[in-house]
Amino acid sequence: MKLNMNELTKGIFKENPVFIIVLGLCPTLGVSTQVSNALGMSAGVLFVLLFSNLLISALRNFIPDSIHIPAYIVIIASLVTIIELVMHAFVPALYSALGVYLPLIVVNCIILGRAEAFAARNTVMDSILDAIGMSIGFALGLILISVIRELFGSGTISLFAMGNFDGVIRIPWFYNNPIRVMSLAPGALLLMGYLKAFFDWKSARKKG
Amino acid sequence: MKKNIRYALILLTICAVSTFFLALTNSITAPIIEEMDIQARLKALEAVSGGHEIGEQHDVDGVHYVSYQIDLSDGGNPAGWILGLKTNGYGGEMTLVASYTLDGVMQYAQLLNHSETPGLGKKAEESWYMEKFKNTGGSNPVPTTKAMLSAGDAQAVSGSSVTFTAIAKAIAAGSNYVKGLGGAL
Repeated sequence: MKLNMNELTKGIFKENPVFIIVLGLCPTLGVSTQVSNALGMSAGVLFVLLFSNLLISALRNFIPDSIHIPAYIVIIASLVTIIELVMHAFVPALYSALGVYLPLIVVNCIILGRAEAFAARNTVMDSILDAIGMSIGFALGLILISVIRELFGSGTISLFAMGNFDGVIRIPWFYNNPIRVMSLAPGALLLMGYLKAFFDWKSARKKG
Repeated sequence: MKKNIRYALILLTICAVSTFFLALTNSITAPIIEEMDIQARLKALEAVSGGHEIGEQHDVDGVHYVSYQIDLSDGGNPAGWILGLKTNGYGGEMTLVASYTLDGVMQYAQLLNHSETPGLGKKAEESWYMEKFKNTGGSNPVPTTKAMLSAGDAQAVSGSSVTFTAIAKAIAAGSNYVKGLGGAL
């Protein structure tokens, strides 16, 4: 079987869901206060997007057009509930950190958008590649925003605690001189605006 | 008509399969989550007890905010109360435990369950958050508005007024409830 690698790579840069298609901004801006939250949310979105694309693509000839939205929502909501229960039981710290944004993956436009725009019209293998590419693109966008916000807003990089390591890397100078607004909602919007402008400029330059 | 029945059956099938997998996941995770909740509650009670002996829990009916009470004692002598409090924050219901002296002065409090927004109301689960209520409820009133806080504390709860007010009102209600008990155990 020949893999269409374009489906995998397009979500990473050319059709990046955060900076180019501008989907899923609510969780992107909401959880990006810490890098660990971004990693957890990215893992959640990867799981849900992968399985929703897989299932919706596999069932595309079984689900009639007239009822496709309720059918997709049931599938996506079930997957989100499964990841929520699993995280609550096995990664409680991450479950607690993601808070309300975890169940909100149900209404994340990336998930329903890819189901509608791609999985419902393409093969299972292409849909899996699309899900992986989009998830990587979403993760890269989220991690970039969270690294900048946490570095400037708190002077730290939060990862996961392991053994004697408490999970928090304190960056000298930034730690003692935080720019608090970056941790707050206005900081997220400001940064998103600058990054969007940067990526638009890069795209325009590439197109010539 | 036939088409509608077909659509209904397709949706029913999808819902039935989803329900099966949800039930399966729930059966695996529910006991683990329940055990964690019990441990978290015990840890919270220990943390707010201030080293006193923790007594039996008694449910409280018909009192707004207060759902149960636990007596605290010191060598057999009454030392105060722990109250289980329920309130509504920005993200829905919040539960917390708070300990009081016999005359209703709040000593320690800890947030248990909530769905507050990360970075805003969620700050309430951090230990420093409840410090602003410590030793209030007696001659010092419980600060129920941001105007009653110092500039630093008001800044700390900025952006999460609903969460702050909900917690403050629950703690104030707990203090009044303890005062109503009149020190009796």
